[in-house]
Amino acid sequence: MSDQELRPLTSIQRLQTREFIAELEQECQTYWDMVEVGDILSRDLTITPELVVLYADAVEDFNPWYEGWTMNSWRKDGKSPFGTAIVPPMLLSHFILSVQFDHRKPFAIGSIHTFHDTEIVKPVPIGATVTITSKAVDKFIKRDRRYLRHEVEITDTANGQLYLRETRDIMSL
Amino acid sequence: MDAESLSGLSAVAVTVDTPVGYELQPIKKKALIQLMGSRLWGRFNPNHWDPIYARATGLAAPIQTGEMNSAYLFEMCVNHFGAAMYENARFQCKYVASTLADEVITTHGTVRQKQPRGDGFRFVVDVWCDNEAGQVKSVGFVEVDVGVEESAS
Repeated sequence: MSDQELRPLTSIQRLQTREFIAELEQECQTYWDMVEVGDILSRDLTITPELVVLYADAVEDFNPWYEGWTMNSWRKDGKSPFGTAIVPPMLLSHFILSVQFDHRKPFAIGSIHTFHDTEIVKPVPIGATVTITSKAVDKFIKRDRRYLRHEVEITDTANGQLYLRETRDIMSL
Repeated sequence: MDAESLSGLSAVAVTVDTPVGYELQPIKKKALIQLMGSRLWGRFNPNHWDPIYARATGLAAPIQTGEMNSAYLFEMCVNHFGAAMYENARFQCKYVASTLADEVITTHGTVRQKQPRGDGFRFVVDVWCDNEAGQVKSVGFVEVDVGVEESAS
């Protein structure tokens, strides 16, 4: 399939794309060089209804339990077996990326997430603020490829409730 | 008829009586480049949405973030296990091959084991997804309790 079939663009869109990519590449370094074993990074994330919709729409998951926002009514409590609307657990897993790639450093372009082992402990109500804490526990080479392993915990920022635990590997350039 | 019946999910709900070997109903998703490159997903990495950049890094086409496949597999499991997937569950997944833009991904799952727990079981389910040619993209397993909480209360 041609590029134009995959992603049709006019000349001005092509120019904007190349400019955006040039910005991304400006100061990048490899993830391998960016991380040392023992590094701990932590950030808080408030999971708004709009964030959940953005996540779920891209994977075409229209589970009504995730709906704390609908067109016309906008924000609402929603319903799930746990009371109000809940967060897709894989959204939490997805956002770990934003923590383990230190946002204060140049972005480690070209890294690939290869593995996760996720323990889903409790459902997270939409609107909760969670603390995502990621610790680098290993750097290893397997079949000539460089990997970094992190152990992660996601807790409720207000009361410390553990929501999710995960071990995950990233392959670095 | 309630919404669950309309969607057909009640018919595929896993119960304590569901046997080992039971196959989950697959779901299909197309790896659309416009979704792969959306802000909340791959926008930060042009390998996920720009064909020119992807080629320059040795890829045949932009690749989907593996986490999208995890989301598909999780959705399939929710169809069968419902609320049990959100509490004391485990999901392990390896991304063994890249999902290229425009491929159609199908999820699969088979109950491998039922470990007695209380009056219920902890189900172990092998899960994976593949493309139209049968090339496996992601592979893993899910552990989820069925009938355990009810028996404890």
